[in-house]
Amino acid sequence: MTADALLLEHVDKRFGEVHAVRDLSLQVPPGSIYGFLGPNGAGKTTTIRMIMSVFLPDSGKIRVLGSEDPLAVKDRLGYLPEEKGLYKKMRLAELIAFFTELKGVDGATARRRARELLDRFDLGEWADRRCESLSKGMAQKVQLLVTLSHEPELVILDEPFSGLDPVNRDTMRDVVLQLKRDGRTVIFSTHIMEQAEQICDHVLLINKGEKVIDGTVDEVRRGEGRAIWLDYDGESSRLQELPGVERVTDGGNRAELFLAAAADTQAVLAELVGRGVRVSRFDLRAPSLHEVFIRAVGGDASA
Amino acid sequence: MPRSKLYLVARREYLENLRTKAFWIGILSFPLVLCLVTGVPILLLKTKETRTYAVLDQSGSIMEAVEDSILADDMAQLFAAAERQDPEGGPEALHQLAAVLAGLDEESRETLRLLAAQTSPAPEEIQRLPEAARTWLRLHATRLRSWWRGAPDAEMDKLNLKLARDQFRRLDTPSGADIRDELNRMIDDGRLFAYFVIGPDPVAGPEGCDYVSNNLTDNELQNWYGRRVSAIVRQRRIASERIDPQTARWIQSPIHFASQKVGTAGAVEEVEKTDTARQWAPIAFVYALWIAIFTSSQMLLNNMIEEKSNRILEVLLSSVSAFEMMAGKIAGMAASGLTVVFFWALSLVSLVVVLPTALGLGAALGPVGFLGDIAADPLYLTSFVAYFLMGYLFYATLLAGIGSVCNSIKETQNLMTPIILPMMIPLLSMFSIVKDPNGILARILSFIPPFTPFVMMNRAAGPPAAWEYLATTILLLATIVVTLRGTAKVFRIGVLMTGKPPRLLEILRWFALREGATPARKEPE
Repeated sequence: MTADALLLEHVDKRFGEVHAVRDLSLQVPPGSIYGFLGPNGAGKTTTIRMIMSVFLPDSGKIRVLGSEDPLAVKDRLGYLPEEKGLYKKMRLAELIAFFTELKGVDGATARRRARELLDRFDLGEWADRRCESLSKGMAQKVQLLVTLSHEPELVILDEPFSGLDPVNRDTMRDVVLQLKRDGRTVIFSTHIMEQAEQICDHVLLINKGEKVIDGTVDEVRRGEGRAIWLDYDGESSRLQELPGVERVTDGGNRAELFLAAAADTQAVLAELVGRGVRVSRFDLRAPSLHEVFIRAVGGDASA
Repeated sequence: MPRSKLYLVARREYLENLRTKAFWIGILSFPLVLCLVTGVPILLLKTKETRTYAVLDQSGSIMEAVEDSILADDMAQLFAAAERQDPEGGPEALHQLAAVLAGLDEESRETLRLLAAQTSPAPEEIQRLPEAARTWLRLHATRLRSWWRGAPDAEMDKLNLKLARDQFRRLDTPSGADIRDELNRMIDDGRLFAYFVIGPDPVAGPEGCDYVSNNLTDNELQNWYGRRVSAIVRQRRIASERIDPQTARWIQSPIHFASQKVGTAGAVEEVEKTDTARQWAPIAFVYALWIAIFTSSQMLLNNMIEEKSNRILEVLLSSVSAFEMMAGKIAGMAASGLTVVFFWALSLVSLVVVLPTALGLGAALGPVGFLGDIAADPLYLTSFVAYFLMGYLFYATLLAGIGSVCNSIKETQNLMTPIILPMMIPLLSMFSIVKDPNGILARILSFIPPFTPFVMMNRAAGPPAAWEYLATTILLLATIVVTLRGTAKVFRIGVLMTGKPPRLLEILRWFALREGATPARKEPE
């Protein structure tokens, strides 16, 4: 358990004129939950596909579970692609068993495990139904089971939360946390920062194929200064151009004020009160990942 | 022990195919077509509507003579039925005949047969028969004739005879002043198919002989009756010129060229009827081969497109290599294609060899009897299965490559054209090759690998020399290996590609790329 679950060194990938991933290096410690964060088109899926050896990098090194031969470790990885599909004509249990067997599990075990998993996820009575009869939510569950049925050491989920209803989102979160408790490593990508903030130990912020910042969630947030979380009542325009505040992310009655390095929080509060804003919460803390990201990318753009 | 991934992919593909309707339609269509091909001609013969006709005989004697000649032919059938012993049903006269025939020699049987058909046989001819035959002739011949004229169809069918009267039945000519008007009316209201008018003296010339019908395309009846009248007129002319009938027969006897071929031992052999049929049989095999190869490859393509649009390929690719996936799919479809082809071969053998033998109906296949010889010849069935496998591998590999770069069946059309067009060539050259299986065209096409399976099958009646089989097969196998390698590359690149399908030139450029590289094109994130 000493080696990294995943190591990328100076990985580069181009698709013609599009430079999808640029000189990306990162390290995923075993047993952690690692989030790839970034807007759509940032290079998350390309990075994941390279880790899964669906694409090969143009240059750089990828070491998965201590091995540089991607085929050697394929069976120890579980992968849930962003765009998911099932064989419509196959029966649920049969489908899960097929993919499990493909990962090197023997037939009898694969079939037994498929039924166990379906039972555990309340799909037991659907085990002999065809996949085409599933609702969207159920299909998503089955896809997750396909990813996990061979008990992989490293699980890679591409946008696992997108398109899920709240109940399934909770199921997905529980599954991810349970995987961590079982000592497995989970990497997932998302463009919704709040989710990552909740469950990730480590994050990578990526934009336009380049790493913006990486580290533990705390490191990333603290390294980027301070912010004020504000619950308020009043007109939004009154939050503009406060002294010592670099940026405001305004949610209508909740805002995050990103502070300049030498800002005085007392002065900010006084100014707010002076402008007639009713403050119900004024909380000084590390900025959210969202703020960190916007700041990092925004700074990039102005430079 | 975990099984090979290639095997797992192939097995899934195979089992899934077994669940499709297309598979079962494919597997059952052939025996069905075979049953139709063998059954329909027989059925058509049996169910062909009886043509009714009438004869207005102004000569006063021709019609009767024709009747006798028709009966003489049918009498052969009746005699054969009687010889088979105890024919089921049939008139008393036939049963009596069976008893009489048992005691006659070949020559007397023949004489009896001819005499039985005549309304007024010559007494000196009758004298040549043994006592039993003479008695039968006196007591029963007339009754057999009138039974033949009037028996209901059901009774005839029981005897299972192929009688002329089943095909063409003469109705009595109406009497009265305006016979032709009456006959025309009968044709109009469908009671008659046609009527013949025999002139006052056909022996002198054809004046006054007419054939009247509303259906002038089916001239079977016209020819059949015409032949008989001509034969009678010819006989009478010979008699009136006092030419010896023996001499006349000798003058009229045609020369037949006996068909022969040089056999494998270099000796000249008599050509059997089946040899000619065998010459043409490869056409059917080429056609079946073409359909089998084309449908199997097309099914592979459809499955791939479906998996692509299902987004299932990426999940698969996280477990197996692109090559394992492609090879597994091709192998799985090959297995189901072979299942179909084996079943076809099996049904051919059982329908035309085993079943007729078991039922004791060796000759019952009639016009398609030669199928039995073909099915029993290992060259045809073996090369059919082998060429299916090789042809399938070649085309399926190409189509798998196309499937990997397209996202919908519609997109495949453009890329399919350069494959479908050459595939038409073996179909178009099918007839010229079968006529000249070892000709220069056949030889050249055999050595073009995409055509090899079809053309070599096409030449099976030749058959080509062993070295040709060997050389073309090696060439074909080498081509398959090269195609497989090239396609594996395209597959690796194309399989996750979305958006506009690449053009042919673009694909060809991919062959030059190193393994794992991604060509210059925009990849949507």
